[in-house]
Amino acid sequence: MQVVAELPWLWAALAAYAVATVAAILAVAPRYSGTVENAIMQSQAARERVVLWFLALGVVLLTIMIAVRWQRLGHGPFVELFELLASQLWSLGLFYLLVYWRMPKLRGTAVIVFPALWVLGSWVLILEPGGGFYPATYYNDWKWAHVGLGKIFLAACLVGVGLAGVILLRRTRLARLFSGMPSDEVIDRIAWRFMMVALIFDSLMLIAGAVWAQDAWGRYWDWDELETSSFLNWLALGASIHLRLAYRIPLAVGAWMIIGIFVFAFVTYFGMPYISPAAHKGVV
Amino acid sequence: MGWLYRLASVKLTLIGMVLLCIGAILSYGSKFDFSVWVLVLPLCWLSINLLAAIATNRKINRQPGLLVFHIGLLGIAVLAAIGRLTHLDAQVEILTGQAFEPALMQEVKKGPWHPWGLAGGEFIQDQFIVNYEPGLMRGATYSHVYVRQPDGSREHRVVGDDKPLLLGDYRFYTSFNKGFAPILTWLPDEGAPVTGSVNMPSYPLYEYKQKNAWTPPGTKEEIEFWLTLKTPYTESDYWSLQQESSSGVLVVTAGDQRVELNPGDEVQLAHGRLRYDELRMWMGYTIFYDPTLRWLFFVSVMAVLGLGWHLWQKTAQALPMPSAGNEGETR
Repeated sequence: MQVVAELPWLWAALAAYAVATVAAILAVAPRYSGTVENAIMQSQAARERVVLWFLALGVVLLTIMIAVRWQRLGHGPFVELFELLASQLWSLGLFYLLVYWRMPKLRGTAVIVFPALWVLGSWVLILEPGGGFYPATYYNDWKWAHVGLGKIFLAACLVGVGLAGVILLRRTRLARLFSGMPSDEVIDRIAWRFMMVALIFDSLMLIAGAVWAQDAWGRYWDWDELETSSFLNWLALGASIHLRLAYRIPLAVGAWMIIGIFVFAFVTYFGMPYISPAAHKGVV
Repeated sequence: MGWLYRLASVKLTLIGMVLLCIGAILSYGSKFDFSVWVLVLPLCWLSINLLAAIATNRKINRQPGLLVFHIGLLGIAVLAAIGRLTHLDAQVEILTGQAFEPALMQEVKKGPWHPWGLAGGEFIQDQFIVNYEPGLMRGATYSHVYVRQPDGSREHRVVGDDKPLLLGDYRFYTSFNKGFAPILTWLPDEGAPVTGSVNMPSYPLYEYKQKNAWTPPGTKEEIEFWLTLKTPYTESDYWSLQQESSSGVLVVTAGDQRVELNPGDEVQLAHGRLRYDELRMWMGYTIFYDPTLRWLFFVSVMAVLGLGWHLWQKTAQALPMPSAGNEGETR
């Protein structure tokens, strides 16, 4: 692998995420009753602080990594898979940091969210950082709105997945890990609120993308693979929210639906651009 | 008023959506040029159905978020129908120094109500530069044009990539399609001379086959042209495509006669003389017209915000958050 200026920052950021991951697992480790309970509770709070600070450190290091790469290549993280994954690690980490900080009752979700982040973290490590061609059509300002809205959409879905994972894991031997969290019913309601946020930002992302496409390629919609998959993802998200609101679906089914939407979104945004490169990379 | 309730039927909505899907498949997935009415009629159907539903359905018109969402949907359906009826999609190749003329447009696809707001001479094509990066990756395009102003003067503009030339609601996008064009003058043995251009295939896409043919007026003999170019073209480095750093020798073949011409040279052929005046370039544009675009954007955003408003309220009702007292309760 070619060692470029931003790589040490990426490795440092992933190391910080790794510490946060281990601390997150230790923070939900089973608690024991008895005279040591108070001490263990304090220990759990200390571990949660480690998660918070190391997650924040990881986000800061990723910010530096992206800035260094930007300086080196002269463009933002919008084209190569390496930089797209690093950028998602940054935005997902930042969004989850805010959730972890502001919603202490949901901190148990970290044991699901961090492994999901590590799918990206492991993937980015095996990619060549290189630096590719930056299409002229990417200088359009609507790209910022399109990408930014998409990041919030995916991050809201990720928190939904964390909450859905808690509901599902509570049906296994790992249930004790989440005994300090609210009931399944409450978790389910919060999860679907995050999916609502995801739907709004997904819709706005599609609109911003259409405006960009109109200027970049002379058409706002062309039913290419990426556009079609994004639209189907939006339909699936909208339909699942309708289902949840209209019917009393079992909590576990709802949780699987949320995970399914996230997987669909993941495949759409990290898989489809490489089946249909012309749509988002310009045409020579 | 019973008829209004019948028009608002959800069954009619479903039929309209199925018809719209069929129309979309026929329009976008087919090699045949289907009429825009396969899309417009279902959109009209859905608009009437939606309007009736907004007027009669209390679930819609008593909930502000849902009302805004449905008005947004109605707006999208109406604007999409108007857009299809009035749209225009076309291609055009314009020589440097040449004024745009509607007659130059090719592959024209337009709605039956397209208002034809383009006159001739709206702009004149000037020089253009296309930058390439290693690996023949197309970079920025800078196309210089002079646009006619109401007072008759010409305004200089640079367009390209994601910056189209806007003439009213017509949008001219530079395309990947551009190339060279020898300017030729045909001096027949009898009659007046004729000057014109022979546009060679797109460059550098068809760098290896810069060939074309032309039959002089009043004759049956086809003249074949092959342009051998000298440009900064290279696959391994940065380079720019532009007229001033390009030159070309024109190989003319007519019957058994084959001759190489430099700019200014001429050759005597069977029915007259052919002069190679100069080498110019042509720029290809994609023309797009849809007057509903900006309105479509506004109503789409309005619909999303309305949906968000409604679903947020609905979520708050259906999925109420617990009070602080039982927040920590476990299952």
